[in-house]
Amino acid sequence: MSQIKLQNITKTYKVGLDSLVAVQDVSLDIQKGDFISIVGHSGSGKTTLLSLIGGITTPTSGRISFEDMDLAAMGSNGLSEYRCQKIGFMFQFASLLPMLTVKENLLLPTIFVPEPERTGAAKLNDKAAELLRSVGLLDKINAFPGQLSGGQQRRVAIARSFMNNPALILADEPTGDLDEETEQEMINFFKSMNQTKGITFVMVTHNTELASHTPRRLRMHQGSLQLL
Amino acid sequence: MPERFTLSSLAIRNLRRRPLRTTILVAALTLMVASLVFALSFVMRVNASIQLTAERLGADLLIVPTGARGAAEDILVESHVRSFYMDKAILERIRKVAGIDKLSPQTYLVSLIGMCCSVPESMVVAFNQETDFIVKPWLKKKLGRNLQKGEAIVGEESAFNISLGLIEMETKLFGNAFKMVGVLDKTGSGLDTAIFISDENIEDIIKNSEAKIKADQISVIFAKLEKGANAYKVMSEIENNIVEVDVVMRKDIGKSLLATLGDIRKIFYFTMILSTILSLFLVWAIFTAIANERTREVGIMRALGAKEGQVVKLFLFEVLVLGAIGSIMGIIAGTSLSVLLAKNFSILKNLPIDIGLLSRMLIAAAGLLFGTGICVLGALSPLQRLKKLEPLIAISR
Ligand SMILES: Nc1ncnc2c1ncn2[C@@H]1O[C@H](COP(=O)(O)OP(=O)(O)OP(=O)(O)O)[C@@H](O)[C@H]1O
Ligand SMILES: [Mg+2]
Repeated sequence: MSQIKLQNITKTYKVGLDSLVAVQDVSLDIQKGDFISIVGHSGSGKTTLLSLIGGITTPTSGRISFEDMDLAAMGSNGLSEYRCQKIGFMFQFASLLPMLTVKENLLLPTIFVPEPERTGAAKLNDKAAELLRSVGLLDKINAFPGQLSGGQQRRVAIARSFMNNPALILADEPTGDLDEETEQEMINFFKSMNQTKGITFVMVTHNTELASHTPRRLRMHQGSLQLL
Repeated sequence: MPERFTLSSLAIRNLRRRPLRTTILVAALTLMVASLVFALSFVMRVNASIQLTAERLGADLLIVPTGARGAAEDILVESHVRSFYMDKAILERIRKVAGIDKLSPQTYLVSLIGMCCSVPESMVVAFNQETDFIVKPWLKKKLGRNLQKGEAIVGEESAFNISLGLIEMETKLFGNAFKMVGVLDKTGSGLDTAIFISDENIEDIIKNSEAKIKADQISVIFAKLEKGANAYKVMSEIENNIVEVDVVMRKDIGKSLLATLGDIRKIFYFTMILSTILSLFLVWAIFTAIANERTREVGIMRALGAKEGQVVKLFLFEVLVLGAIGSIMGIIAGTSLSVLLAKNFSILKNLPIDIGLLSRMLIAAAGLLFGTGICVLGALSPLQRLKKLEPLIAISR
């Protein structure tokens, strides 16, 4: 059973009276533990594709399923729980909440977990600290996002995506504004999470060198997906 | 144990974000709830006072000189000092009207001026001891005999003022010395500030002072009807046959006061409606701005797994806290204002009773409900729009 199965997915945006096809007839099977990279020109539909997989937008046609469950059938609450407990998002743009500290930003996804599955506060605090150490920002645990550099904010968002033990990480240019060394550290961190915890990664990147080292490589071109 | 980071922790963070805007909203709510609480207290107090006076008055009809209807009610309900007179002979003409059981006249004399500014004026009332059924039932201790010349019964509040030396009976009562021989129970009406003397004193008073009154004049006649008599019929019979008098039915006591207050009430209602509309609009505008500002954040939270209901809860918490703070401040302000003005507002100052704790609590509850209700109502539509937004669209805003 595939973890994620996309069948003939098309997504069109309505722009005024026109419509724009952002993703066109994409089919894709993702297995548990995959590490997939997606490259492609700006505007080719990469972010849209990740958003479809992550259930924050719906396809115009086609079917997406997670472990054989149709996302379209989950309903609003079911979809929220899916995002909360199965998916870890690393957004393309800054996504930390400005009024929360780094630690609280990490804890943010945990407050949406349904009560019976919630972990104790102490454990969550430990986990947040542990993840911050992994991205090299433990000393910033009580800082506010405004006090961090762009790259530091990016790493906090990376740490946050692991808080609810996701099955699948959707990373949209996660290392875009990092220097090469830090970028490599992050990729190593991803790889270790992929290997030790079996977390699936779908990573959009403009760095072809980086992409070339991933087991599965895909290219988006004008809404279509090509194998590399 | 470490504190858990929850939806309410998040809401509290949000609350602190724009202190100026929050303050303006809370101030508007405070104003609205304060005006509601004040208006309700005022209206309830007037109504309660009027009702109490009518209930405790031992008479079915109040007969006064033509045109003195309002003045008589002023005395009974508000303890204002008024004087108006009619001929004593009218008493006999009224006695002939079918349905009348008992009649008792009283004469209102000039006021006693208190020694100090805060002492309310006291009405001196000469009553007829033979026929009285209004004054004596309220005596704390039965006198067992009639009042002698130079003796007085005093209302509860007057007795208190006399005991403090704030009213000097000996020297101030028309040059005649009077001795206090009895005190009335608190009636909760104009009787409380009056001083009662027998009408046998009138002759002496006329002789010894410049009182404007002539002999054989009375101010008011209290009438008790026979069992089963139709008060309305008796009233019209009296008014049709005796042009010199006006008649007030017990249930109508206070009507002229209410009419006077009618405009004030209209102003209250108008102010309340206006401030409610303004608050509603302000809440709506502010929460629309908040929703717009935080659309991206909400999109991110939804992407991280927040349900629609959790987004609503988050904002509702903020709305309710703001509403509650505004309402509580409004209740405090409105109640303080009503207590303060009760001492300075001439309409309120003389009302016999203040509203009780229960009424105040009811009014406070109404204020709280209203204040938070308006807040929720105003925030509803921006909130509805926000929670229905697709996360991706919200994020790309
Ligand atoms: N909300 C939207 N409304 C209308 N058109 C949109 C919307 N979001 C994206 N698009 C369009 O869809 C196409 C795909 O956009 P998408 O963001 O998926 O591209 P991308 O591959 O992530 O690009 P980049 O590398 O620049 O991030 C683009 O042409 C874009 O203009
Ligand atoms: Mg993109």
